[in-house]
Amino acid sequence: MRLMVFSDIHGNLEALQSVVKDAAKHNVHRSICLGDLVGYGPFPNECVELVRSLKNCRCLAGNHDVAALWETSPYGMSSSAKEAILWTMEQLSDENKKYLAELPDRLDLFNMTFVHANPYNPRGWRYVMDQKYALRSFSATRCRYLFIGHSHRPLLITRKHFFSIDLQTVSGPREIRVKDKKRRIINCGSVGQPRDKDPRSCYLIFDTRKQVLEFYRVPYDAEKTAQAIRSAHLPSALSRRLLKGI
Amino acid sequence: MKIKRHGQGATTNLKKRFFLWSALILLSGGLLLSVLSFWNTRRLLMADAMTKSEVILREVEAIRSYVKEELRPKMVELHGKDTLIIEAMSTTYISTTIMARFAETMPDYIYRRASLNPHNPRNLADPFEEEMFDWFEEDSSRLFWQGVVKKNGDSFFISMVPDYFAPACIRCHGTAEEAPHELTDRYGMIGGFRFKAGDLAGINSVSIPVSTSLREAWQGSIVFFIITLSGSLALLWLLNLLFQRLVIERLGEMLSIVSAKKKEDRVHSPGDELDVLQASLGSLKRYVRSARKGSSLQPNFIDNYVVTQPISAGSMSWLYEGYAVQSKEKVSLKIGFDEVLQNPLYRACLETEMQLFENMSHPCLPQFLERVGDVLVLKRIQGRSLFSLLHKERLDQQLLLPVFSQLFDLISSLHAAGIVHHDLRPQIFLVTETEQVRLTDMGLAASDQQPDPIMAAGLGPQGDLLYMAPELIKGKRGDPRSDIYGLGVLLYLAATGHLPFSDERRSPQKWLQQKEQLASPRNYRASLSQSFEEIILKAMAFDANARYQWVEDLREDLEKEGKQFGL
Repeated sequence: MRLMVFSDIHGNLEALQSVVKDAAKHNVHRSICLGDLVGYGPFPNECVELVRSLKNCRCLAGNHDVAALWETSPYGMSSSAKEAILWTMEQLSDENKKYLAELPDRLDLFNMTFVHANPYNPRGWRYVMDQKYALRSFSATRCRYLFIGHSHRPLLITRKHFFSIDLQTVSGPREIRVKDKKRRIINCGSVGQPRDKDPRSCYLIFDTRKQVLEFYRVPYDAEKTAQAIRSAHLPSALSRRLLKGI
Repeated sequence: MKIKRHGQGATTNLKKRFFLWSALILLSGGLLLSVLSFWNTRRLLMADAMTKSEVILREVEAIRSYVKEELRPKMVELHGKDTLIIEAMSTTYISTTIMARFAETMPDYIYRRASLNPHNPRNLADPFEEEMFDWFEEDSSRLFWQGVVKKNGDSFFISMVPDYFAPACIRCHGTAEEAPHELTDRYGMIGGFRFKAGDLAGINSVSIPVSTSLREAWQGSIVFFIITLSGSLALLWLLNLLFQRLVIERLGEMLSIVSAKKKEDRVHSPGDELDVLQASLGSLKRYVRSARKGSSLQPNFIDNYVVTQPISAGSMSWLYEGYAVQSKEKVSLKIGFDEVLQNPLYRACLETEMQLFENMSHPCLPQFLERVGDVLVLKRIQGRSLFSLLHKERLDQQLLLPVFSQLFDLISSLHAAGIVHHDLRPQIFLVTETEQVRLTDMGLAASDQQPDPIMAAGLGPQGDLLYMAPELIKGKRGDPRSDIYGLGVLLYLAATGHLPFSDERRSPQKWLQQKEQLASPRNYRASLSQSFEEIILKAMAFDANARYQWVEDLREDLEKEGKQFGL
């Protein structure tokens, strides 16, 4: 089974379309979106609708999705994120709001767990990027593979033993074999706002038979999205960071 | 008399089981308690010895420092620098002498002042003390040690402190030539010299023997165990008596009512009498259900629809044919069984099914038109049941791949949405003239986002045991791999024209045994390729972990097989 995992679209329709088009070339059976469909970007409704229309696709709730429904307060976010959320609240259609409200926080499939940020406190939205929180995440789930998003940086964390991990940043498109029995946390990066200094969209395909993680980077017309951000009068910093991938 | 006769085969089973289990629990409980009590006594003993030995040791230390800091300087002041009165100025002599007198009344507290190079040969360190010298010398910050040591077969609890030479001590412990003659006269010129200030002078230790107390604690816990054991035996006997009176005899009476007809079968039944009772109640339930079905009237009108004839029965509902009164458009109507509508639990299952039909969209699912109360109106489903296609002979080879591709696509869509069907049987699939597959029933399906009423109520296996995966028979629901087993059975049937197991009534345990010994598909159809057989066997593996883990994998393999052999 080839499972596509992607996350953090943030209303960047241009990027999502490129990713969907690219994934179609790679024989994907199912896909899972790890949340944050909206926020930052100028096309929240279009992105939600595109994800809903994907075949055999499930979606989880991200912090921006929850904030856009006012389930958590957007006033705890950075000022540009907060402004974008308040703008998104006005844009979202009732039907899409209902869809976002029904998204689960966590999903368990056999030996895989999917969450937006971390499994030990899914609504705490803490980043898992160091040993302390990686070990805490490992102990919060019994699965072998934990797929996360939220940090916008593709990352592979391998558990060496009970007290230690191996942290590997994934840059550019790559194939990583995971045939050994070690437990791993896999961050699939971001579709709509990568922050690892590579502005290309990032997603991954997990081949459960071959036990291979395939990370892909897809170029898209970021200038077009940046232009749309400016036209929607969203904070201009959001358009600049898209072009630089920060 | 009647009761006793029933109690003979099965009753002893239940009684024996109850008796054995309770004996095991009581015995292991007693054993655990005794071990715990021994461990606790030992812990208290050690804590007590630790405090006592430290108190004594600290007291000796106080005597030594009094001699060193007050008595000795005073003696020097009175008698001049060159005089040495061992009885009033040697810390070692004074402390050992006081403790020797102490030991006359308290022989259990043994004080030792050990040195590697003593004036008095009595204070020479034994091998254990030599080791402790090394330990203290390794690190000068180590100022105290406590522990249990075995000496001559006895255990002692020992506390130790090191003692270092002060500059004043070097007068007697420096060189033999400069030492006072009172000292050399008494102990000779061999031992106790050539030290410098700051060297490790000796170790002061207090030992307390603990062997006897430990032995007493051990004996105490054995006595405790014996008392618990005899108490448990008495309790067991009483419980057994009570169990016989309250449960076994009355259960026997109940059995005599429900299984009066099946006397011959009961003799061979493997389980205890509760199993027999369960089986009897099961058959009673089936009887009541079929009687109710027979008596339910065929509804004629539902809202704006005319109901004509039934197409098929699912696990929770009938599927009727019908048409709209005004437009005459033909439709299918899903109507819950009477007993399902009356039972809140089954009604919750029917509700889940209706919601799934309403919300899911897939080419293999009938299109939802509207909902009228408890009735679901669907677009007309036409076609022959997959079962009639498979019946008596295998599926047309031209049809196999197209039909199963649709099935796989449907099931993978259900699984991707977190839904497990649990009840895949050929009877619930219709195949249209254009070879389109339609699913007509999802009565036992469960979604991972909603609580499963069947699991919540602890209902046990529901559906047809023949098509059911082993883990479903064991009562585990919600695993998508159970559906892969169901697909495997369908594939077996389609490829060979035979069911993998004979369709007779068995107990769930018997079904599990059957499912573990699966007959090779090539027994029925020798021309089947080995790779195709392997696909079927893997899809029907008894252990869910040995099965295909994803429908997509099964589909991929079957399509590859189809390309190779032209299925």
